[in-house]
Amino acid sequence: MTSVASPEPAAGRREVRPGGWLAWLGATDHKRIGLLTLGTSLVLLFLMGVLALLMRSQLAQPDEHVFDPHTYNQLFTIHGSGMIYLVLTPFAIGLGVYLVPLQIGAPAIALPRTTLLAYWLYAVGAVVMLSGFATTGGAHASGWFSYPPLADSEYEPGAGSDLWIAGVVMSAVGMILMGWAVLWTALRKRPDGMTMLRMPVFTWSMVATCLMVVGAFPSLLAAMALLAVGRGDPSVFASNVWNIGYQHLFWFYGHPVVYVMFFPYLGAVSEVLAVFSGRRFFGYKGTVLSLLAFAGLSMSVWGHHMFTTGQAADDYYSLMSIVLLIPAGVEYFGMLGTILSGRLRLRTPMLFALAFIPQFLIGGLTGIMVGTPVVDYHVTDSYFVVAHLHYVLFAGSAFGLFAAVYFWFPKATGMMLDERLGKLHFWLAVAGANLTFLPMFGLGYLGMPRRVSTYSPFDGFGRLNLLASIGAGILALSMAVFAVNIIGTLNRRALHGSEHQAPDDPWEGHTLEWATSSPPPSLNFTPEHPLPPIGSFAPLLDLREQAGPAVPGQAEGPA
Amino acid sequence: MTHRQVFGQVFTVESAIAGAVFVAVLGLLLYSVVRRRAAAGATPSQRAELPGPEKFYVGVLIAVAAFLVAWTAWQNHRETHEHAAGAPVVVDVTAYQWCWAFTYPGDGGGSPSAPPPTTPPTAPQSPCLAGHYPTLVVPTGRTVRVRITSADVIHSLWVPELRYKMDAFPHHVNTFTLTVDRQGRWIGRCAEFCGERHYAMHFWFKAVSPRQYAAWAHSHSGTGQAGASA
Repeated sequence: MTSVASPEPAAGRREVRPGGWLAWLGATDHKRIGLLTLGTSLVLLFLMGVLALLMRSQLAQPDEHVFDPHTYNQLFTIHGSGMIYLVLTPFAIGLGVYLVPLQIGAPAIALPRTTLLAYWLYAVGAVVMLSGFATTGGAHASGWFSYPPLADSEYEPGAGSDLWIAGVVMSAVGMILMGWAVLWTALRKRPDGMTMLRMPVFTWSMVATCLMVVGAFPSLLAAMALLAVGRGDPSVFASNVWNIGYQHLFWFYGHPVVYVMFFPYLGAVSEVLAVFSGRRFFGYKGTVLSLLAFAGLSMSVWGHHMFTTGQAADDYYSLMSIVLLIPAGVEYFGMLGTILSGRLRLRTPMLFALAFIPQFLIGGLTGIMVGTPVVDYHVTDSYFVVAHLHYVLFAGSAFGLFAAVYFWFPKATGMMLDERLGKLHFWLAVAGANLTFLPMFGLGYLGMPRRVSTYSPFDGFGRLNLLASIGAGILALSMAVFAVNIIGTLNRRALHGSEHQAPDDPWEGHTLEWATSSPPPSLNFTPEHPLPPIGSFAPLLDLREQAGPAVPGQAEGPA
Repeated sequence: MTHRQVFGQVFTVESAIAGAVFVAVLGLLLYSVVRRRAAAGATPSQRAELPGPEKFYVGVLIAVAAFLVAWTAWQNHRETHEHAAGAPVVVDVTAYQWCWAFTYPGDGGGSPSAPPPTTPPTAPQSPCLAGHYPTLVVPTGRTVRVRITSADVIHSLWVPELRYKMDAFPHHVNTFTLTVDRQGRWIGRCAEFCGERHYAMHFWFKAVSPRQYAAWAHSHSGTGQAGASA
């Protein structure tokens, strides 16, 4: 709210109504900026999903020509760019903007006006990128990593590509600023008692994430600057050093961003697993340490995206990539240890968190395979890689995203999402995601390159593609259920007001955000909702343990 | 060992390890869901950590990582051409939007006299059209050295049957060596997205006996043809 920045409106200025749209668009309250970011990226998630559906409709059968190749190339380019630059990254960091101040017990975010600027850079960047569809040449069509010389003005002359670069730069600058704000909040805005090793796992995941954002995202800006220069004068790319140099700059950003789109969801899943297991997160210190090690290593493996360029050191990059399995394994130890010694309540957030474990694992294990040059020379740039990255980002991260939405929705809105619709959403999403992405491993192995707008009947890709397209249809259905659940719940609030008010702590949470009201007041903690004493990374659990021997979760009964 | 054989071994071993890990994790997950459910009457433990088992587990992870690191480092250099006979056959490949040109600088016979092409042949030629894909002909049992470049954007030469691909960069020549141990004709594709007709940028990769190859090279000598029909 504006009152954070200027407690008393200056004389002669119009007063801004707290609930009005102007108060939202100019909010400096981290919760409002967080919700704006989360809401914007959710809307874009649906839009990018529609683009994916259009692609799957074209690929369902061989020799289909629903779209001409140029249109198809725009679809996959904007789907990939949108999901990475405009959905999974902003949602991850937006979650941090909303939650980190609450979880550490701070009244506000550090740098609130910078955070607001960051949101607007991101939102306008998204509009700029998508406005390419309205230009005569159509949107950008060189893929989300847009290697030159294909992406220079000689081979891709349309204004859509210029808009794409502008959009990527704006949203990336926005994410860097937001990353700094969240990082600074966690490091410098903690109240007395909240030591670093009492920060919740999610907050730690945001610290590691923001370190990668501020360390690696500037490299994306450098890559975009190089591409912009090359669009001014394509002769720049007549020299191989700039072509391969672009790839180095890009992947120096492009690998850490994968973990930027993974850690916050892992953090969210860890919180959900702990709460619905009725115990504190198991192996906290190991997980924190592994997150930091993971973030450090992530900056040294980018060349594994470039084995087939013939211009990257195979051994070094593959060996560094394999070492990543150590911190990843430690994180799995924590998650599995938590559920193995817990008392599980299978509510919707927990279902998504549980499915995250094996589904993300498929993405991770195949990641070790594609990080091995001998294997990568066959499967890179094929549908095998498409399957791998969708297991990581959709079957993994997006499931974490859904878990986070169901888990924190009552806190943010004061309304519970519908449990039956949530479970329907979950089962359709599990069936849809696996039916869509599992066949793609086979397609890649058989020889289907990624980014093809169609294939011939003689290739033998028809049956697996049809399965994948049917899966995409099921996923679309699950997303429709998700939309109905959210919109319906918000409508109910509009119609019935506080009748369906969610309790402050509907899940028996562990962390400080559950100690305040739902939704939290503008400065997060008030005399009616004071900050509880902080003695560990699960202060609310400590309070319940002190209060009595009651088994957590019993009040609510079995799920 | 040909690249295909090395790939087969590595892929099998890694799939087996991955499969075992996946089954173990899924098993623990299902065990938790069944036996640790609230409805099953489980009580949560509040033990914060198990440093002993965790240290042991990290040790196991390090051992697995060390094994994979050493083993894949070995596999990276395992492809050999020791069984290949005779001088290597040199093929120059130029990729362009949207097809391939194959030339045989040694007249298809032996080692080349000319240095690798630094400037690609003048494009464009006609795009690859179904039924008229160019053919890359190589002899079996001999080392084939492929020098690959591009006339415009980045492409990637992929023969799925050989389990291998290599990028074609403009203003840069990549060289790789392969041996093919059996005869056949397989589809080759462009794997790096290269624009409008990327989806149709195919070619044939044909491996013939050294005798047939000599005859073919003789009949094509001097032309060094792109898109030779074979």
